[in-house]
Amino acid sequence: MKSSVPPIFGFNDAREDIVRDVVDRVVASTTDPLLALNDAAYHEIKRLETSRRPKDQEQLAEWQRLARTLGRMTNGERVEHLRELANEYGLDVAGNFDPRVYKASTRILPSVVTALLAPRTFASKLRHPKELLSLDSLADKVKVEGSIERVRRLSETGALVFVPTHLSNMDSIVFGYALERAGLPPATYGAGKNLFTNPILSFFMHNLGAYRVDRRLRHALYKDVLKTYSCVLLERGYHSLFFPGGTRSRSGGIERRLKLGLVGSAIEAYARSVRAGRERPVYFIPSTINYLITLEAETLIRDYLSETGKSRFIIEDDESSRLSRVASFARKLLGMDGAVVIRFGEPIDCFGNRVDEEGHSLDRRGRRVEMSSYVKDPNGDVVLDAARDAEYTREVGEEICKAYVRETVIMSTHVVAAAALARLRQASPRPDLFTVMRQRDGLLIPRDELAADVRALKDRLLEKEKRGEVVCGDFVRSASGGDLLEQALRAFAGYHTNPVLESRREGVSVQDPMLLFYYQNRLASHGLAWDVLGGGHSRPTALGAAAPSLGGSR
Amino acid sequence: MSLQVGIVGGGPWGLALARAAARTGSKVSMWTRRDTDGGRLIRVTTEYAEIAESRLLILAVPSLVARSVARSLGDHLDGAHLVVHGIRGLGQTSDGPESTHEIETIGDILREETPVRRIGALGGPVQADELHTGTASALVVGSHYPEVTAAVTKALSGPWLRVYSTHDLRGLEWASAMVGCMSIGVGFAKAAGAGPGLLAALISRAVHDAGRIAVVAGAEEATMYGLGGYGDLLASIALDQRPEVVVGRALAQGKTIDQAVDEAKLRVEAIDLIPRVCAFAKSHGVQAPAFEGLSRMLEGHRGEEILGKFFQG
Repeated sequence: MKSSVPPIFGFNDAREDIVRDVVDRVVASTTDPLLALNDAAYHEIKRLETSRRPKDQEQLAEWQRLARTLGRMTNGERVEHLRELANEYGLDVAGNFDPRVYKASTRILPSVVTALLAPRTFASKLRHPKELLSLDSLADKVKVEGSIERVRRLSETGALVFVPTHLSNMDSIVFGYALERAGLPPATYGAGKNLFTNPILSFFMHNLGAYRVDRRLRHALYKDVLKTYSCVLLERGYHSLFFPGGTRSRSGGIERRLKLGLVGSAIEAYARSVRAGRERPVYFIPSTINYLITLEAETLIRDYLSETGKSRFIIEDDESSRLSRVASFARKLLGMDGAVVIRFGEPIDCFGNRVDEEGHSLDRRGRRVEMSSYVKDPNGDVVLDAARDAEYTREVGEEICKAYVRETVIMSTHVVAAAALARLRQASPRPDLFTVMRQRDGLLIPRDELAADVRALKDRLLEKEKRGEVVCGDFVRSASGGDLLEQALRAFAGYHTNPVLESRREGVSVQDPMLLFYYQNRLASHGLAWDVLGGGHSRPTALGAAAPSLGGSR
Repeated sequence: MSLQVGIVGGGPWGLALARAAARTGSKVSMWTRRDTDGGRLIRVTTEYAEIAESRLLILAVPSLVARSVARSLGDHLDGAHLVVHGIRGLGQTSDGPESTHEIETIGDILREETPVRRIGALGGPVQADELHTGTASALVVGSHYPEVTAAVTKALSGPWLRVYSTHDLRGLEWASAMVGCMSIGVGFAKAAGAGPGLLAALISRAVHDAGRIAVVAGAEEATMYGLGGYGDLLASIALDQRPEVVVGRALAQGKTIDQAVDEAKLRVEAIDLIPRVCAFAKSHGVQAPAFEGLSRMLEGHRGEEILGKFFQG
C-alpha cells in the first residue's frame, strides 16, 4: 500500500510556505517593478472606474494614489509595494483545502446529488443510512473508466495534471467525484472566482481543492502570480486539474484549440525539480467527460451560433445557475444508466511522450528516453528556456487533442443527432449551416429509416473503435439502431425546453435543429458528422466559406 | 568551449559541411560507410554510438535512406541532442483524411524515428564547393527552437559564411525541395532557348505555385519568397553545374532521364519529387501549372509544347 500521504492533505500547513515561495519568485523575476506596478495600476483603474460599488471606489482611490506616487518612489519602495501586492493576490488565490471537509463532502456528495435528483429514493435510503453513505449508488449512473490503474501508480511518483474536455459547469464536480471513485487523491483546480458565487457549485469547489482565479484581473502581475502558484504546487507534488479548452465547448464538439499556459508551468516545474536535484516527473492525463445530455446545451449552442451568425440568435441565461434546471438535469441523469462517463486517457509526460508502466518516457519508436534530457542543453546542464518550453507546450497540446479524439465516449444522443441532422440537411433547400438551422417546421423522418441510419453510423463507429480511434459507450456497442433511437428520444425528452426529437405515430419529428447540431458535433472530429467546425478552426469566420468543405457527413 | 559537431553522411555535401564546421574551430566527427579521409581535422567513424557523442548532429544522407539512418542513429540519441538535416528532399507520400495526399518532411521523419525534439534543417543558396573552399556565401537554418539555430550558427558561421535563421522549419524544408524541382526547369528553359524575360516570368510563376503549395503543406508562404526559396533559386540561374540544372539541360537536349542523371553525377532528389508534388497539389485543390510543366519535362515533352500549354492554362 501507499506509504506517503498525498501532499494536498497537508495543504493548510504548507499554505503560508507556498504563498511565500510564490511571492519570492514573482518579485525576483520581475525585472522592472515600475513597469509591473504601472501596468497593474492602469488595468485596475480602468476596471474599477466603471464600478459604482463603494468598496470598488475605495480601491480605485488607492490605485490612483499609487499610480501618482510611483514615479517618485525609490526602487526599494517599489519592490516593497510589489511584494505586498503579490502577497495579497497569492493569499486570495490560495484558498483552502480542509481534509475533514473534503472527506465529509465527498461522502455526502452522492447523497446530495441523489436527493436533488430523486427525492423518493433519497427518502427510502434515509432508512438505511449505510447505503446513503456509499458512493456505489452513483456508480451505475456515472462511469469512471480508462487507464485508472496506470494513473494511480503514476500518482505515487509524479505530479499529475488532469486535462479533461470541458462541456459543463458540472465538470469540475463530476471530475472530482471521478478522482475519488478511481482512488486518486484530490487535485487542485483553478476555478473562476465567479463560480464561487454560484451557490450550488461553491460548496463543492471550496472543498475539492479549488483555488480562485479572478478573471476580472487582467494585468501581468496577477497572471504571473497565478502561473507561479500552479508551478509551485506541481513542484511540491500536488496534482492539478485544468481544462485546456479554457472555457466550456460552445459547439458541443471536442476541443481542437487549446489554451496551454499551464502546460508551460508544468514543464517549468519539472525543469526546476531536476535542477534542484529532486526530480519529480510531471504527467498529463488527457481525459474526457462525456454526457448523454449536457446541462447547459441550450445556452452554449445559442452562444456559439450567435457569435458565428453575428447576433442572429439571442443569448439566454445559463442553466447552471438555476437550481431547478440543475435538479431536473440531475434527475434525468440518474434515471439513465451510464449517462455520464469519465474516461482517463493514457498518461503522457510533460513533453508529449508516451510513458511506460513505470512512468519512463518513450519515444515514438517505443524506446525509453531519459526524461530530464529534454530540459538539458548540449553540455548537459539543466536550463529554463521559455522559447524551448513553448515548443514542447505546442507538442503536448497536439497530443492532448489527439487523445481527446481517441478517448471520446460516444453515446446514443450523439449518434442519433448525427443521423437526424444529416436527414435534415438533405431536406434543407441549401446545405449551409444557417439554412439548416432555420428548418423549424418539424421534418418527419420515418422511424425505420432513421433507425437504419443510426445502425449504419454505429457500424462505422465500431470499425473506428477497433482501430482505437474512438470509444463507444456500452449501450452504443450493444444496442440495435432502434434501441439507440429510443434511448436518445428518452434522454432528450423532459429536460430540454424543446424535446429535440419528438416521437410521433408517423415517425420522428425534428423539433430543435440547434440541439441536434450541438449533440452531433461530438462526432465531428471523427469524420462521422457534419464538420462545420472543420480544419482545426474552432470557429469559422464566415460559414458560407465553410460550405464547400462540408463533405464530412458522407 | 568549442562545439562538438557530428556530420552523418560522407558524400560531397557531408564532407563540405564537415569542412565548414572544422573551419570555425568546432570539433568535427563524421559518420560514413564510405572509405573517406577526413584529413587532420575531421575524425571519421562508422559507429553511430561514436557520432552520437557530439550533441549537434547534421544529417547529410540521401532522403531515401534518411528514415533507416535516423532509426539506427535514434538508438543512441536522447532529448538533449540537437539534430538538423541538410537534405534537399521530402519523405514519403501517404494518404491523409478525405483522400488527400500528404508528404512528410525529413523533419517529420526525424521526429518519428528519434527521441530528439530540437530538430532543424539547412537550406539556402550555399553550394557544396563554396563550403569546401570557404568562398563567401549564405545558408539558412530553420527550427522552432532558438537553441538549434544558435548552435548551427556557432558551428558554421564565420567571415565566409553568413547563417540566417527562420522559425518556419516546414517552410524551409518545402522551399528547399521545391527549389530543387524548379532548378531543373531553369536548366531546361535556358537550354531550350528561353530569353531572360521568359525565364524571369517562368521562375516567378513557379515560385508563386510553390508558395501556394507550401501553405497547404502547413508552411508559411513568406518562407518561399525568402533566401531559402527565391534566393536559393536565383543561384540556379548562374550555376550551370548545379546537378538539377544539368539534368534540366540534358532533358532539353532530348536525352532520357537516365542519361540526364548520369550527366549530373550526383543524386537529384527532385526527379522523384516533381510528380509527387503535382499529385499533392492536385489532391489539395491547389493549381500548380508551373509544376505540371516540370512534370511534362520529365515525361519527355518538348519545350514549345510545354510552354504552349502553360500559357494557355
